[in-house]
Amino acid sequence: MENIKPEDIKVLIELFDQTEWRELSLEVEGLNLFLSKDANAHRPQPAAPAADSAPAASPAPAAAKKGSAEPAAKPAASEASAKTGAEPPEGTVAVRAPNLGTFYRSPKPGAEPYVEVGQEVDEDTEICLIEVMKLFTPVSAGVKGVVRQICVEDGQMVEHDEPLIYIEPAE
Amino acid sequence: MPVKRVFVANRGEIAVRVIRAAQALGIETVLGTSAADKDGLGATLADRSVVLGPAQAARSYLDEKLIVHAAKATGCDALHPGYGFLSERPALARLCEEEGIAFVGPRPETIEALGDKLSARRIAEASDVPLVPGTPAMESAEAAREAADEIGYPVVMKATAGGGGRGMFFARGPEEITASFGKASEEARAAFGDGSLYIERFVENARHVEVQVMGDGEGKVVHFGERDCSVQRRYQKVIEEAPCTVMPEDVRADLHAAAVKLTSDLNYRNAGTVEFLYDVDRNEFYFIEVNARIQVEHPVTECISGQDLVGLQLRIAGGEGLDLEQSDIALGGHAIECRINAEDADHDFRPSPGRIKHWTPPTGENVRLDTFCREGDLIPPFYDSMIGKLIVHGSDRDDAVRRMLAALDDFTIEGLTTNLNFQRFIIGHPDFRNNAITTRWLEQTGLPAFAERQEQ
Repeated sequence: MENIKPEDIKVLIELFDQTEWRELSLEVEGLNLFLSKDANAHRPQPAAPAADSAPAASPAPAAAKKGSAEPAAKPAASEASAKTGAEPPEGTVAVRAPNLGTFYRSPKPGAEPYVEVGQEVDEDTEICLIEVMKLFTPVSAGVKGVVRQICVEDGQMVEHDEPLIYIEPAE
Repeated sequence: MPVKRVFVANRGEIAVRVIRAAQALGIETVLGTSAADKDGLGATLADRSVVLGPAQAARSYLDEKLIVHAAKATGCDALHPGYGFLSERPALARLCEEEGIAFVGPRPETIEALGDKLSARRIAEASDVPLVPGTPAMESAEAAREAADEIGYPVVMKATAGGGGRGMFFARGPEEITASFGKASEEARAAFGDGSLYIERFVENARHVEVQVMGDGEGKVVHFGERDCSVQRRYQKVIEEAPCTVMPEDVRADLHAAAVKLTSDLNYRNAGTVEFLYDVDRNEFYFIEVNARIQVEHPVTECISGQDLVGLQLRIAGGEGLDLEQSDIALGGHAIECRINAEDADHDFRPSPGRIKHWTPPTGENVRLDTFCREGDLIPPFYDSMIGKLIVHGSDRDDAVRRMLAALDDFTIEGLTTNLNFQRFIIGHPDFRNNAITTRWLEQTGLPAFAERQEQ
């Protein structure tokens, strides 16, 4: 797992997108990745737990079932890729969405992102925006440390409590 | 354009009800939940569910911007608000309109006009729908006596400038007005700076009756008969039934006509309920208000009419109009609904949330249970305590009462305290069986009788 960075997964998704493959299932140590261009696709059995179930120990069955019943929607595809974003890096804490909304990495379109992977942050460093009907609310890191992973793509809908970024707290 | 994907902006049994109605029409469903409800039955049944916010309703079910954002982001073309929460907030209906999402309900301006009590009374007056007989402001006891003679005793006098019982009194005859007017007027002046009082006829024996209507938004309105919801505790309905069997046919016909006239004059769109107070002694009815949404007790009407009201709502919202004529709606039999609440009737109806350890609902012909509960589910403490609605349909009222008693006996819920025992007691009470109920019956007779039973 240490060897695989979020960027690697991003590249994998981009490559997969360019191929004519319909599905990709990848299992390496500590990572189980399933990509599909069909929003109704099932993860091959036995299913590895979804990314977000690992740290929170939330009851997984509902989440697993959900994927299969998802309407063939436009937003589904991009979300699927984000939720397949594998397990959080070890020793990190998640900054979670305070409510449902649209995730933005930059203060405005075209501007530099608030944070990048590897960047040091303080408790009150703003890390992203969550937008609800044109109302943009900044989200703070809440912890001092180093950004280890950004889980959501710019402009994507996130649900309440969904992990946005993972931070490795400073000693 | 028929609805393709509906956003369900509610929780509990009504969320499940809307999802099932949508599924029956081949409409996709997206449910917005709070964190407390994310693993509930509704989330399992919906094609997709999204977590809006934390358990607090103010940050999830009551945030119209959050809800419309979620509906847009999930590609929904319609939104069903259920009942309660945001269902009668003009702001939600308006926001949906602005964002091109079909609101499954009346137009925002209709909701607004009916939501204001005074404005609703003006609307009723304009449609010649009777209001409780009353007067404008009275400045003296003498004027009040004269007016009360015309209205008929008993009467209630209320402060023109405010509520809360200040300056209010009850009079059975002119001498009681003479005795109390001065003091009440002073009290009103002290509280509101205006000592004038107005008179309203006091209805001693009242029934709460209401007419279910559905409008196409262009003036066509059909009704589905009336419901009787007179068993109430603290103005909360406990048992609802359809039809109201104590009402003479000619009064019933007038009641239906009044409800249709009022809503038709408004070009009312989608489902609504016109509520009335029925004066049993005088055989007269008076307008109370219009509920601009689907109501909790809609299933009893569905039972006697055979219509899927929520399905009709979705079709009207999708622009399919109202392809029903009044003559298509045939009412038959008698239906009763008991609200099943997680509350302890033996201890002042205190809420009793918790985990359902055992759940065996009654089954059988003409028994319907609208619920979101399953064995093992946790009933969260954040919302109202209703966990289900038990509905039976019989050939007549006696038959329905018998079926309800049997269904209540067959219902086993363990792990939390419910009002099943209380409902069993009320349905089995001779006054209920004889249909000798008024809106004050439960508090004056039913509750004391239930408490006495406890002491035995």
